Amino acid sequence: MKEFRVLEIKESVFADNNADADRLRKELKESNTFLLNLMSSPGAGKTSTLVKTIAALKYKLNIAVMEADIDSDVDAATIAATGAKVIQLHTGGMCHLDADMTRQGIKGLDAKDTDLIILENVGNLVCPAEFDTGAAKNAMILSVPEGDDKPLKYPLMFQICDALIINKIDTISMFDFDMDACIKRARKLNPDIKVFPLSAKTGEGMEAWTSWLYETVTANQEIN
Amino acid sequence: MHELGIMYHIVEQVERVARENRITEIEALVLQVGALSSVVPRYLYACFPAAADGTILENTTLEIESLPANGICKECGTVFDTIENLNMCPDCKSRNFELISGGGFFIKEIRGA
Repeated sequence: MKEFRVLEIKESVFADNNADADRLRKELKESNTFLLNLMSSPGAGKTSTLVKTIAALKYKLNIAVMEADIDSDVDAATIAATGAKVIQLHTGGMCHLDADMTRQGIKGLDAKDTDLIILENVGNLVCPAEFDTGAAKNAMILSVPEGDDKPLKYPLMFQICDALIINKIDTISMFDFDMDACIKRARKLNPDIKVFPLSAKTGEGMEAWTSWLYETVTANQEIN
Repeated sequence: MHELGIMYHIVEQVERVARENRITEIEALVLQVGALSSVVPRYLYACFPAAADGTILENTTLEIESLPANGICKECGTVFDTIENLNMCPDCKSRNFELISGGGFFIKEIRGA
């Protein structure tokens, strides 16, 4: 009979990925590339917000996009039409991207002179919150039709994000969406979160978001 | 299927620990799952054979321990299960509490040779 011994590991399930994400963050900082991880539910308007964001910043920053999808390239084609460099990442059924998949995507982009890489994560409010991609900042989009109770339902996502975009504000009269309650719930989880109510469709509120993004990217470059 | 992806990570992480400790056979893997960690133990059991297939964990038994969601009341200091009590202190009825356990998800130990 074999002698079995107990080996205590006591590691968080996410420990290896977190360490890898820290390495990637450092590599990106050294190459002066700012990675933004953009997350949301399916249909919150990630791609349309991105298209407008690129249009606002493309003459000031060199932007590239990584589109993560389980299996399609619909979004990549939409982004490519803006003139930004884009790569499609297929996660092969996985509901999130981890740091290693992100690194491979960046390698595939060959984005040496890029100031800003935006990672459009898989549409999902659960798993992407748990896997650090190595991004300098995390942002999420919540859209008005989804409801103001989302911070109560997906607390981790709101805790890890630096910026919260509340999209589709042009539809607010049609839904029971309490903007103040939503922001209060988000701030209770994350007092420092920056909130940007906007409509990617009408352009209302876009400027506050793109200005914040531009300033955050350039501040990051100045530190180097 | 979020548990399957997570299970692959766990298998990789355990393989690394086993290599570092020169363990070639693992009888049991013990995970601790917090009640608020957004993974379902039943699905972890279901995914484990697929993730372990062809690895050192192929013949390993998976054991899962649950960690309760405990909060400490910021008004009166009572420690309580936040799920059972619907986020409200059972003593003073305050909703102002700090979570002290239940959000985590850990690889606790392996039994191996």
